[in-house]
Amino acid sequence: MSDPFTLSVVQSALDSAAEEMFEVLRKTAMSPIIYEVLDVGTGVTDAGGALVSSGAGIPSFVGVLDKSVKAIVAREDGRIAEGDVFVTNDPNGGGVTHLNDVVVAEPVFHEGTLVAWVASIAHWGDIGGSTPGSMATDVTSLVAEGLRLPILRLFEGGTRNEAVADIIRANSRLPEFVTGDLWAQVSAGRRAARLIRGICGRYGTGMLESAIRDARETGRARALQGLAAMPRGTYRASQPQDDGTTWHASIKVTEDRFIVDLTEAPDQTPGPYNTSRDGALVACQILFKALTDPERFANAGSFEPLEVRTRPGSIFDPTPDAAQGYYFETRIRLIDMLWRGLAETAGLNLPAGSFATIYGLVIAGRHPDTGRAFSMVEPQLGGWGATPDRDGNSAMFSTNHGDTFNCPVEVAEARYGLEIVARELGEAAKEAGERSGGRGLRTRYRLRSDAVVSVGFSHGVVPAWPLPGAREGGTNALRLTRGGQTENQPCYVSRLELRKSDELEVLTARGGNAPENGKR
Amino acid sequence: MSQTTRRVATDVGGTFTDLVAFETRPDGTMEIVTAKSDTTPPDFETGVLNVLRKGGIEPSEVGFMAHGTTVVINALTERKGVKVGLITTEGFRDVLEIARGNRPDFFNLHYIKPAPFVSRDLRAEVPGRMTYKGEERAPLDLSGVGSILDGFRAEGVEAVAICLLHAYANTAHEEALLAEVRRLWPEISVVASHQITREWREYERTNSTVLSAYVQPVAARYLGKLDAGLKDQGLPRSPYIMQSNCGVDSLEATSAVPINMVESGPASGFWGAAELGKLIGEPNVLALDIGGTTAKCSLIEDGEVRIMTDYWIERTSKSAGYPIMVPVVDLVEIGNGGGSIAWVDDFGKLHVGPQSAGALPGPAAYGKGGTEATTTDANLWLGRINRDYFCGGEIDADMAAAESALKAVGDRLGVSVDEAAQGIVRIANNNMVNALKLVSLNRGHDTRDFTLVAFGGGGAMHAVALGQELQVRKVVVPAAAAVFSAFGMMMSDLRRDAFVTQLVDLTDGAGDIIEAIFAEAEGKARATFETEGVDPGKVTFLRYGKFRYQNQEHTTEVALSGPVTDAALEGIAADFHDAYEREYTYRLDAPVEMVGIHLVARAEVGKLQMQPAEIGPADATPAHKGRRHVDYATEGRHEADIYDGTLLAPGMAFDGPAIVEDPGTTIVIHPGNRVELDAYRNIHIHLGGGRA
Repeated sequence: MSDPFTLSVVQSALDSAAEEMFEVLRKTAMSPIIYEVLDVGTGVTDAGGALVSSGAGIPSFVGVLDKSVKAIVAREDGRIAEGDVFVTNDPNGGGVTHLNDVVVAEPVFHEGTLVAWVASIAHWGDIGGSTPGSMATDVTSLVAEGLRLPILRLFEGGTRNEAVADIIRANSRLPEFVTGDLWAQVSAGRRAARLIRGICGRYGTGMLESAIRDARETGRARALQGLAAMPRGTYRASQPQDDGTTWHASIKVTEDRFIVDLTEAPDQTPGPYNTSRDGALVACQILFKALTDPERFANAGSFEPLEVRTRPGSIFDPTPDAAQGYYFETRIRLIDMLWRGLAETAGLNLPAGSFATIYGLVIAGRHPDTGRAFSMVEPQLGGWGATPDRDGNSAMFSTNHGDTFNCPVEVAEARYGLEIVARELGEAAKEAGERSGGRGLRTRYRLRSDAVVSVGFSHGVVPAWPLPGAREGGTNALRLTRGGQTENQPCYVSRLELRKSDELEVLTARGGNAPENGKR
Repeated sequence: MSQTTRRVATDVGGTFTDLVAFETRPDGTMEIVTAKSDTTPPDFETGVLNVLRKGGIEPSEVGFMAHGTTVVINALTERKGVKVGLITTEGFRDVLEIARGNRPDFFNLHYIKPAPFVSRDLRAEVPGRMTYKGEERAPLDLSGVGSILDGFRAEGVEAVAICLLHAYANTAHEEALLAEVRRLWPEISVVASHQITREWREYERTNSTVLSAYVQPVAARYLGKLDAGLKDQGLPRSPYIMQSNCGVDSLEATSAVPINMVESGPASGFWGAAELGKLIGEPNVLALDIGGTTAKCSLIEDGEVRIMTDYWIERTSKSAGYPIMVPVVDLVEIGNGGGSIAWVDDFGKLHVGPQSAGALPGPAAYGKGGTEATTTDANLWLGRINRDYFCGGEIDADMAAAESALKAVGDRLGVSVDEAAQGIVRIANNNMVNALKLVSLNRGHDTRDFTLVAFGGGGAMHAVALGQELQVRKVVVPAAAAVFSAFGMMMSDLRRDAFVTQLVDLTDGAGDIIEAIFAEAEGKARATFETEGVDPGKVTFLRYGKFRYQNQEHTTEVALSGPVTDAALEGIAADFHDAYEREYTYRLDAPVEMVGIHLVARAEVGKLQMQPAEIGPADATPAHKGRRHVDYATEGRHEADIYDGTLLAPGMAFDGPAIVEDPGTTIVIHPGNRVELDAYRNIHIHLGGGRA
């Protein structure tokens, strides 16, 4: 029955399994960063961990969970049983990103045989460590960043391991939230596992395997078709950084390979600005996918032509104990650098640089009306770069986000008990013959109770880059007004103590400009 | 019933204006008249009057008239509304342009954010703030309104939208601003957000208000001309207008806030399915409406449609679209209809839709120059549609064109014409099964408890295959399936859905607070109905609460019965835990909070009562037309009995494989099915009940 139509039917069922898992998580999670920011990904892999389908709202979580499952398989092979559910958040052991992102993975069995995995990864609001929100900037090791969960069984043969759940609860400042989020992930996995068992029952595991193989071949063919349209050659990329250094990398495009060489990267930092090798790989995947096949469809085949070279001991391939809390800023700057290199030298039609930061603002405190603890974790919207045809988009989430929704002012004021005084677009700026980068955003928060802030952002010094021949964009900033005095804050801030009536102002950058078509 | 009652529904579509009229005689027997004429833009009332004439309906003898129109959705999608000026809270004029910042097409670096309906220079601000609790934080300052309106006048603004922060919690500032605008510019069309919704989320509410203002003058003009035209011909009272919440509303109320009819077309069909379910004792219905370009489905549980306020236009996997926070029947729509084009991508995968061949050129078999294979071409080729009775005999099927279009698809896939046609039907069915799952299985409903009611021109063609896949109880194809929407309109009540956001923890004292929220909303609804001359004794209410575990965002709606008291809270929480667990497989030992209420206010305004006919003999031979070979795709080729749908009568029964041909639709009955006609001429198909 391996006709092309049955293959399509089974493939669409595998896609919907991952998408439904995502939908369940979105609807049941406790933390706004999951249900609104969508700092979460879901995926189905084959028995060995190769990506079959993703249900993600953001590109930075497509092609993550295959790495998680592979790590689990590598460690647990031969001991994986029906009814097991694994949990991990170790960036170097299947966790991929940082300790806040917790992976829950469940093997799917059909008639006693392991046929697939369903997995999800989601950002939990607090996983312990020195700072509310678990993203301190003044830490120098992974252990200091919070609770580290190596690959553990949350369920063993269908029985819940209460010890694991208890340890998690005991190590978070938000135990109700992490419990709710953990269950949301388990529930999402159950939904997808049921669907996959249904496919096996209806069509047989042979058909499932054929469908996975065929889809992977399609993914590879799509990537190669996109690659064929790119000019071959080796391209240099470099981008100045806020700390005064300049990063360098090169990209080699051949007929069937896209090789990103990151070996020139700086040595790993003591602070939390490293990203695991898997994390760096995901960053390159995002750009590769955007360049070759910008559809949401993605599986292991989609990334086959991609090769990423890293240097152990560098920020993109640090030692296992390295702190990684702000891995996402490093990762978005990696994409920003590679994007710029290709825009300037490879003759690809790409927009100018964007505000290029996640700008995750964490405000934690007690709600002035209810007395309950809250932890607001919100990435910011900013300006995207112009193209020769049009001005850039204003007020969008970063390239690493996607179907991410900002928190409405009306909801935020109720949920966090702070006042949002204003939220408005920044200025556009262009000269004749230019397209303007999209406008950034200015948001003013006024505190109604004491709170603690942690935040980090990129492009606080170095502006968003333009296309050659046009003006650069703006920079991101953070200001604190207290007692009539306004002061700029540094790009990375931990445990900044805010008092009632303080005003925090978040400003995001305008995107880079572009020369108008035919004008320059 | 002492005299003949005439009820009429007219439905203005993009191409045709449809009429269905039911005449109930004093002896209880009924006659149904249908007619069709061209839609006549921009003077749509002409088409309505034409179709009444064509159907032999004398307006002065019509007791009840319902009207459905696409005027609002057309004005939105074609950008044919008026220039709008927006007045909002100081510091927040960019809410409309910031939107939610999302990018569904998330790998695409060239994504373009949808442009706001009001440009920045026409978005003005006034000082004044409410808190989320509805308390005044800063007083409203109206001193600048005069110059704002002067600016709007100078720019040629034709409608004003007002949306202030937290107006859902306290309407005082909006009401004052609305009064000031009316005082300073009495002739301007103006609408404030609290007139549309009392739910939170400022972008959604602002956009909904702006879009309502954008279409208001257009819709009011349309409805005014329609009313005048009909009254001129003697219609005793204004027609009721179909809304998106499966109810009708008065012409006057609709003219004031026309955005509520944005999805009225699908709503009437789904309401018809709900009413049909009640009539035949099947209150759990999966409703499926397949037209030329799309398939839409909705789930009806215990006779009630689900009404939500999470409606968006132009929202796709490629674009964020625009939210309209008004009560709309919960539906899933996919680009899969009879005219959907089958195509093969660069990687050898067959797809069906969402592109459609439309009415012109239409499917290849129309012989109007279409070269691309559509679902209809595949159905023709497989013998499911009669090539000698295509479109009720109105079109000579161009089988050569269909063959060459299907062959092109087959060649790309390396399969025969037959296999290509089977593949198209299978992929189309799979798309529709996925849509049906989204409204049923994915929300924790077991499809084996549901009856599939299929209508629209293409519903009955695919219904059995879909029903078998989902293992539904049975499939029902209503009498006059092709004009079922109009039937739904005539079964509708006057209905208003009110959504009010208010956070309440389910703890001691909450009973009185929640009861008070309902009492206020019910009082308002009753008072409004009364001013419109509706007998308050005829008004009934349905109460729902929207609940979640504390700290969650998404809510689960739970029906509430009886007055809400502290004593009832435990039962309410238990109902929530159950509903939550059914959908998500787990429950939490966490505090529960109410986020808001959903109140349905209904009043019957003379809707149709269906009269059963006498059940006749089971023998269906009088309707038997012949036999032909039909390809059932995965179930193989069979010789099928062909029946003339117009000759089928109550009580007749027969087995599949069979085909029922009706002028408006074709019903495909698979091997092993058992068919029976009920007393209303609805066709019941029992999937496993045949003798074959």
